[in-house]
Amino acid sequence: MFAASSASTVLVELGAVLLVLAVSGRLAARFALPSIPLYLVAGLLLGEGSPIALRASSEFIRIGADLGVVLLLLLLGIEYTPAELSRGMRSHWLAGLVDFVANAAPGVVAALILGWGVVPAVLLGGITYMTSSGIVAKLLSDLDRIGNRETPVVLSLLVMEDIVMALYLPVIGVLIVGATVVEGSIAVALALAVVAVALLVSLRFGTKVSRLLDSTSPELLLLTLLGATFLVAGLADKAKVSAAVGAFLVGVTLSGRIAERGRELLAPIRDVFGGLFFIFFGLQIDPADLPPVLLPAMVLAVVAAATKAGTGWWAAKRSSIGRPGRRRAAAAMIPRGEFSIVIAGIGTAAGLEGQIGPLTACFVLILAIGGSLAMRFTG
Amino acid sequence: MPSTTRSAHLASVARVELFETPIPGVGVRYEFTSAAGDRLGVVVRRDGRRDLVLYDEKDPDACRDTVMLTPEESAALVELFGGTKITERIADLRQDVEGLSIEWVTVEPGRGLADRTIGDGRIRTLTGASVVAVLRGERSIPGPGPDFVLQPGDVALVVGSVAGVQAAQRLLAG
Repeated sequence: MFAASSASTVLVELGAVLLVLAVSGRLAARFALPSIPLYLVAGLLLGEGSPIALRASSEFIRIGADLGVVLLLLLLGIEYTPAELSRGMRSHWLAGLVDFVANAAPGVVAALILGWGVVPAVLLGGITYMTSSGIVAKLLSDLDRIGNRETPVVLSLLVMEDIVMALYLPVIGVLIVGATVVEGSIAVALALAVVAVALLVSLRFGTKVSRLLDSTSPELLLLTLLGATFLVAGLADKAKVSAAVGAFLVGVTLSGRIAERGRELLAPIRDVFGGLFFIFFGLQIDPADLPPVLLPAMVLAVVAAATKAGTGWWAAKRSSIGRPGRRRAAAAMIPRGEFSIVIAGIGTAAGLEGQIGPLTACFVLILAIGGSLAMRFTG
Repeated sequence: MPSTTRSAHLASVARVELFETPIPGVGVRYEFTSAAGDRLGVVVRRDGRRDLVLYDEKDPDACRDTVMLTPEESAALVELFGGTKITERIADLRQDVEGLSIEWVTVEPGRGLADRTIGDGRIRTLTGASVVAVLRGERSIPGPGPDFVLQPGDVALVVGSVAGVQAAQRLLAG
């Protein structure tokens, strides 16, 4: 009887959370905004002092949030073929390097000014660096800009960011554990070697693996894909490569028909668990912690918007795109979202620098909304 | 200054210069300028849909209009335009195999393999590349055998590695 009542409480709470997500999503769609900032706000409102106290379901939401990150990265990996990634590395490495240096710098410098340690500074660098490919891809499509000549420039930069992230996440995983320099270097080298080998395997054997896993039954395909992804993500996490990177690499390996159908089947599941992830991140933040970080977040947002816009402008100019196209490419680099929160979530879970969660929440709120508006009204 | 999007010369079947640009996560975009000066583009999406794009005259990087077509609609449009389906299949193939080179080679009168058989050129033996189809006037001939006699004006579709296709091109066109 006790078990039954706790199961019913979990259902009630979970139902309420999902409905809050649904209402926020509808609200976002109504104002043509991305849903991530509204999910974050919903999470903040459901936290401290909310009428819906989430107790029984908090464990489920925490696990759901973990699955959300894994699914987010799996679908990101499915989006790109191994050929696109290797072409990206060969032809766009310089643009990728400029993007990385120019846009990680504001975060690193800000963290050092705020007096945070080295590890939180590395995290904040990642938070300011990553553009939200979810928000940008959706807006480019909504605004009918897929055929535009500056669009491949923007998307190539996003591909490079994903490759950098596959190397960056294992590194911060090791840094957070706080090993000695020697231990840390060995662990980082090991993690990077694992990522490199996995990338090579997916380049060589991607088609074979895809054929092996493929099935015409949606049910079997879904079970196979989820099973393989969770298994690899879990093993990657144990090897300190980070579950997210494991899932990303599984996604990259899949190509052809299984990638198309997997994307169709998995996208709605990702959206549900991804929603839980954003809510969970908001829940962990006490709204009282927000006012003190508001000013630094605004300054950081302005600087990080400027460096990103500069990167987009420069990359478009390099590809001989005209001025209006350069402006559109500049605006399209500004939105930040899921990746910044994934990185901040890692920092929060590790109990590093308490301000990193609230600061990132404000930063992402400003740039997800501001960046989307900039894209919409440019060009 | 290297350009970020690498445009490659694709086809000269009807003496139209098509430029090809990969769009990561989406597919491939082909564009050309019509004789009347309009710039047209087609985005070949990986899921089979096509975007027909008309570029803006004032802002040449932006689309003035985009028409999204399902695979069935674009097939119907191709029928109306009287095209072959070969190009479409090549586009799919190109995305699957990294480093695959595909080239249309026109056979010129009195040079290369004009009025000789494909077997005479020993293309596959010498270059590793293959002639997988030949366009002759309105007709397309898939999988021509070694006894197939090439005529001046035939357009051969050659597939192989980049170096192999280049060598085969020299054999065919002379």
